[in-house]
Amino acid sequence: MNDTKKEQSTTHKIGIYLWIWGLLFVLSFFSYMVDWYNFQGLLRWSLILIFMFLKAGLIMAFFMHLFWERYALVNVLLWPMTAIAGFLCLMIAEGKYTVFTRLFYFFTGG
Amino acid sequence: MSDDLNIKKSSKIKTKSSSVSGGGTDIDYVRPAELPEQDLYHGHSFITKWIFCQDAKVIGIQYTLTAVFTGVVGLILSWMMRMQLGFPELFPFLTAESYYQFVTMHGMIMVVYLLTALFLGGFGNYLIPLMVGARDMVFPYVNMLSYWMFFVAVVVLMASFFVPGGPTGSGWTLYPPQAILEGTPGSEYGILLMLISLSLFVIGFTMGGLNYVITILQARTRGMTLMRMPLTIWGIFTATVLALLAFPALLVSSIMMTLDKVLGTSFFMPTIIKAGELLSYDGGSPILFQHLFWFFGHPEVYIVALPAFGIVSDLISVHSRKNIFGYRMMVWAIVIIGALSFFVWAHHMYVSGMTPWFGFFFATTTLIIAVPTALKVYNWILTLWRGNIRLNTVMLFCLGFILTFVNGGITGIFLGNVVVDVPLSDTYFVIAHFHMVMGIAPLMVIFGAIYHWYPLITGRFLDEKLGKWHFWTTFLGAYSIYFPMHYLGFIGVPRRYFEMYDSPYVTSAVGMNEFISVAAFIVGAAQFIFFFNVVRSLRLGKRAEKNPWKANSLEWLTPSMPPEHGNFGKELPVVHRWAYDYNVPGAKKDYITQTTPPSEVLGAEVEKT
Amino acid sequence: MTDPTLDKLPDGFKGMSSDMGSDQTTFKGVNWGKAMMWIFLLSDTFVFSCFLVAYMKVRASVTEPWPYPSEVFGLEVGGVPVPLLLIAIMTFVLITSSGTMALAVKFGYEKNRKMCGLFVLLTAIGGLTFVGMQAFEWSKLIFHDGVRPWGNPFGAEQFGAFFFMITGFHGTHVSIGVIFLFIFARKVFRGDFDTGRRGYFTTMKSNYVAIEILGLYWHFVDLVWVFIFAFFYLW
Repeated sequence: MNDTKKEQSTTHKIGIYLWIWGLLFVLSFFSYMVDWYNFQGLLRWSLILIFMFLKAGLIMAFFMHLFWERYALVNVLLWPMTAIAGFLCLMIAEGKYTVFTRLFYFFTGG
Repeated sequence: MSDDLNIKKSSKIKTKSSSVSGGGTDIDYVRPAELPEQDLYHGHSFITKWIFCQDAKVIGIQYTLTAVFTGVVGLILSWMMRMQLGFPELFPFLTAESYYQFVTMHGMIMVVYLLTALFLGGFGNYLIPLMVGARDMVFPYVNMLSYWMFFVAVVVLMASFFVPGGPTGSGWTLYPPQAILEGTPGSEYGILLMLISLSLFVIGFTMGGLNYVITILQARTRGMTLMRMPLTIWGIFTATVLALLAFPALLVSSIMMTLDKVLGTSFFMPTIIKAGELLSYDGGSPILFQHLFWFFGHPEVYIVALPAFGIVSDLISVHSRKNIFGYRMMVWAIVIIGALSFFVWAHHMYVSGMTPWFGFFFATTTLIIAVPTALKVYNWILTLWRGNIRLNTVMLFCLGFILTFVNGGITGIFLGNVVVDVPLSDTYFVIAHFHMVMGIAPLMVIFGAIYHWYPLITGRFLDEKLGKWHFWTTFLGAYSIYFPMHYLGFIGVPRRYFEMYDSPYVTSAVGMNEFISVAAFIVGAAQFIFFFNVVRSLRLGKRAEKNPWKANSLEWLTPSMPPEHGNFGKELPVVHRWAYDYNVPGAKKDYITQTTPPSEVLGAEVEKT
Repeated sequence: MTDPTLDKLPDGFKGMSSDMGSDQTTFKGVNWGKAMMWIFLLSDTFVFSCFLVAYMKVRASVTEPWPYPSEVFGLEVGGVPVPLLLIAIMTFVLITSSGTMALAVKFGYEKNRKMCGLFVLLTAIGGLTFVGMQAFEWSKLIFHDGVRPWGNPFGAEQFGAFFFMITGFHGTHVSIGVIFLFIFARKVFRGDFDTGRRGYFTTMKSNYVAIEILGLYWHFVDLVWVFIFAFFYLW
């Protein structure tokens, strides 16, 4: 292992970690509140997704230091997610179709 | 921009005329090493040198031997299948059950345990550190674990031949619900061992694959930019990335199917009535398995194909003494094929009952992915064009690859279209297509690569005469097997049928089936010429001098041949150019190695790399 | 900052193209182990994504009603039902341990042996608490509510199957992380990273970068939990 190498600007002020930490608690609290107040429908889903992506983004950007990494690494890590996004979207369509065929043949008797 | 980078830029200037006078230090400048020398563990005993060895070259050979062993098993299974298809009821032990088991094991062994392991584990391990100028893989210990995990996976897979019920007979795609239901051969233990073996393979491969990727990205030698890497490395690199991203889907589907089998969950199992009785399964989605499987399965095709593309590019360039045509285009084609391969998987599922809308989407992406693939074929041909072709065994296998690949690729375009695919689905046309494109074509490259690199690994040549016999029987034989299969597909002979019985196919297809079977026996037997050649040449082959093919890439430039642990002696090589400077106008020799500094070839009109 | 050339590299997309076009390393200044961990996490992301996509596909296509997680995972506190109480506490614990891990990484950079070791140990304890609470949650669901992988009293039977599989897979990751956290806490306190002591298996020299690599893994486990929390418990 190459052991003498270190990342550039390796240390950050402790404050930034505490800030992010606090924000994560607040966001988790908010997403818990979504359930507490029993929001339903589109509002619930969009709120869940917003808080989820905010939390994930904060963890990745600051705790995992992606914000300070060079773009080469960041891009190599994030672009493959398009494959997941594509898979996800196609599976949404497929799930809807499956449930449609199930109900259709259930009621029409095949 | 730092000064370093500016100077580096100026070193890339074409050293065309004598305007750069005197060969000063300036044009030969290469950035100093960023990293300290790698800390290597040198084996002391027989065990640490040859068995639990951390040297990537030895691990590569271990991978190759294990993979070839599984390949021989797969070959014997294919003989048995052909025996049944060509001459039904000749052997009483060939029952319908065992036929399905042979089909399944043959497919899985050939795709995963032979081709994937051989290209990435075998060639990857041997060639990556040598070709990028590293002393070893970045984490030799993890690399060793990777091989032994693969070994265990193979043992588990082979064990399934000996459990009650035998190996699974559900077809290599392992589609549920039938894969784990009674009535399918090996639905008790065979399928479990298969799933466990696959999971172990994925884990083992991940350990190896991380090593390959990081070695290529982070441990190249001085002067080795990404765009100076040999295409072999590009192919293996992209395939490894695909494997790291696609194998998770296989792992996930294996885990879920194992749970369906063992715990009785219903991930993939819908409500099923068996013999009038309602099973406990309820509400699962069989088509989900197909999606997960092919989300892995289609990239898997390119995991096999991309290293073959890369290796064949290098072999063609070396043996036609010409630079590869359109190097950058080749690199981008590999990368684009890799990226697109995650968006084409459901073209394997046109008749599965998925959303009808998917047909349009996946047919489109499938035809798009044919574009970079066709570009690569053009570039190989243009590399050969007016080249100084050495028609040795290596080149013969390369030419054989181009032919079989074009053949299989074109039938792939047929099958990529929904309307053409639907009638051809599940016929011998499909068998012919994928055996041509991902069976014979990559095998041609593997053989070519072994004839090419055998002198590096052993210090001796393989016998050319036997090699030519091997090539012609394999090539003509493979065509005799698979070309008639296209016709069988057109007349509608279905695949995976144990026997045709009294169907009308018998009359029109029986002679052809016998012919195919005989050809298959001969081709299989011809491979033993090759094994004989490999073993014999270890001792009796013609001795190879250093860099016998007069190639440019780093693996031939090691101080000792075969290379020792640590590869490059005291100093790592410094790279000044790409690996394809053959027959450069104005140069004294017909090749300029990657380590030749510009000042030594001042008059030569080398490409700017 | 041992390599002076790394200070002068351009940033942003210009930097990206110069890094990609450069020799030797593509990720400038990134340690081998760290690069490997990142790529591993990318691969692992695909594992969890496949799990979650499969879950979504099945949940979208079952015809039986999906159990309402808010009620299934609720607890009664003094006779008052509180939705998702345990899950909220588990989230709290995991985020706390993620924060302590971030601080451990920071002190690791500063080669502050004591503080680094202390925070690694705190993280390990947080992880252990999480695993313990998950064990409690599982046992409550299995023994009290009768949820099984092959069926449950609330609705579609895949609910239990996906719950046990996904949280089990995540819990396995957490447990592996906890084991490594304890091992590395011991290594830090023993001073391995200050003296560059060689590893037992790999014979490679120890370095504080290991703490950052471990930190990446730990934050990833937290990251996965964010998605599981949103898609499984809240959705």
